Amino acid sequence: MAQIELNNITKKFKRTVALENLSLAVKDKEFFVLFGPAGAGKTTILKTIAGLEFPDAGCVKINDDIVNLVEPARRNVSMVFENYALYPHFTVYDNIASPMRSPLYKKDEEFIKKEVYRVATMMKIDDLMDRLPSQISNGQKQRVAIGRCLVRQPNVFLMDEPLAHLDAKLRHFMRAELKEMQSSFDTTIIYVTHDYLEALSLGDRIGVINEGKIEQIGTADEVYYTPANQFVAKLFGEPEINLFGADIIEEVGKIKLKFLDQKHLFSVEDDVAAALSACEHSVVKMGIRGTCISYSLSKEDDEFIHGTIYSLEPIGNKSILIVDIAGQQIRLLAPNDFYADLDSDIYIKMNLKNALFFDKDDETFIIRHNQKHYIEKTL
Amino acid sequence: MNLKLKRICGASVRNTLLALYAVFALFPIFWMILITFKTDAEMYTTTFIFHPTLHNYEEVLLRTDYFWAFLDNIIVSSLAVVVSVLAGVPAAYALARYKFRGKEDLAFTILSFKFAPEILVILPLFMIYQKLGIFDTYFGLIWVYQLITMPLIIWVVRGYFEDVNIEIEQAAQLDGYPWYSVFLKILLPLIKPGLVAAALLSFIFAWNSFTFPLLLSGFKIETVTVASLKYIASDTVHYGQMAVAATVAVIPEVVLALLIQKHLVRGLSFGAVKG
Repeated sequence: MAQIELNNITKKFKRTVALENLSLAVKDKEFFVLFGPAGAGKTTILKTIAGLEFPDAGCVKINDDIVNLVEPARRNVSMVFENYALYPHFTVYDNIASPMRSPLYKKDEEFIKKEVYRVATMMKIDDLMDRLPSQISNGQKQRVAIGRCLVRQPNVFLMDEPLAHLDAKLRHFMRAELKEMQSSFDTTIIYVTHDYLEALSLGDRIGVINEGKIEQIGTADEVYYTPANQFVAKLFGEPEINLFGADIIEEVGKIKLKFLDQKHLFSVEDDVAAALSACEHSVVKMGIRGTCISYSLSKEDDEFIHGTIYSLEPIGNKSILIVDIAGQQIRLLAPNDFYADLDSDIYIKMNLKNALFFDKDDETFIIRHNQKHYIEKTL
Repeated sequence: MNLKLKRICGASVRNTLLALYAVFALFPIFWMILITFKTDAEMYTTTFIFHPTLHNYEEVLLRTDYFWAFLDNIIVSSLAVVVSVLAGVPAAYALARYKFRGKEDLAFTILSFKFAPEILVILPLFMIYQKLGIFDTYFGLIWVYQLITMPLIIWVVRGYFEDVNIEIEQAAQLDGYPWYSVFLKILLPLIKPGLVAAALLSFIFAWNSFTFPLLLSGFKIETVTVASLKYIASDTVHYGQMAVAATVAVIPEVVLALLIQKHLVRGLSFGAVKG
């Protein structure tokens, strides 16, 4: 097992820049998740580590050795490709056995058989051993690809969306299995995903990538509770975080907030007030997640904001309620049995203790209440 | 019931048409074989009644050097295909995978060798061959046959390489295989249907080649196409003997095609990558 380091990597494909001066350090025995939208450069990072893509600038280090000029085969990395990349003319068994039959990582056939059946049982594909890749489903192919990756003891496992094509139940199971495997075998895993739940549940640390650059690296708590900017905040959570402008108003020596055309001024916690008064603008972007907003059908106190119901969208075990307030749509969660007519009146209350504040110009994070709690917990 | 009737009708119409076409396509070959058993006197009769004789076979196979021409043809054609495969498959890989300047121009130039009529280039080639001293040698013929066999193999195999997802190669590299193992164990089996089909076709083209062996050889080395000319005598054309020569010449092509028929089926590489 090994630590991986990328130093100032730049990679261009013709004129498009895939990775721009990107630096990243993955610790030994760490489960590192690369998370970001499609086309962000996640796969390119994995291939650069594997040696399949050659960086235009910067160096790749495995265990402190610069491996830029080391062939992919000799880097001893194991990778799951997003489109499986199984050998079409080999059976499932031979596909999984392939790494152990190569000249570099040769094992005897008895050992191979034991190992292949071990991972195949884990992946629940041990009944498909004699099939060809063309004779199994996409989910099964994906599990064969994971199996071929897991039969080795490499420096690092690189996994490119390995669970993307599995059904929900199997995905949950495999997620737990991977986490279990990682902690019991002390392996380094770099894992690419665009599913925020997968990222939050698996990663020891999460690297959020956008357009070839790192937006933030941190633990699940850090990226969720203290996102570095609005982009990161929007990526995590369902429904998407609500973002709207808020005016900072000083009233008898106290910092208060005015937003969404409300007459009522909302007070904030002391640590937030201190940071906001130090802020050079009088306007900030406020972000609040749907889970931190409660609703009522009557105005119970001054903190409740009046709005009308814009839509109600059931998503299984809960519903997403969208409330229209002064032309701004606020998304929040409601229980599944909640029912109300569209355009009817509703009152919502935001828990400002959980509000995030961003700079209105460069969209970077300013402050949240009790910020140290979320960051220090992980140090 | 109606549907079933319809299906039976459709099938019988289809089969009838196919049978008609088969007769149409195979009749000349059948007639050629018939001619081989006729004497020169009966050559022009159009009925199927004649006195069969093996005289033509005797003349061609035992009394002339047709057998040696046949052997020469096998040597020249198969070696030409072997050279084309050895050089053409790596070239096709490079054209499919690597980006370099003038790639498409180069590919098109290779293809254009097939456009040029052989008779157009034969005169300069004849002079060059005389000067180089490779006129009427195996080497010379095999070399010039590359014009026939190489473009076909490069273009067909290139398409097959392009169909193989590059990540399959990358996966094999990460599994610890050196480049030649990736090529032999992973790539070659995947392009095999294309390679076999292209090699067979180019063998047939080389086998049937007439202009090049006629003008660039003919004394020490003679191919069947050129040898067949000999049966045009000054007074008469021995169609029976010519038919024997042609019939025997067809045999290797038919045998080869039958032997590798199962490799001509495509579709092996489908399904292993995301559909």
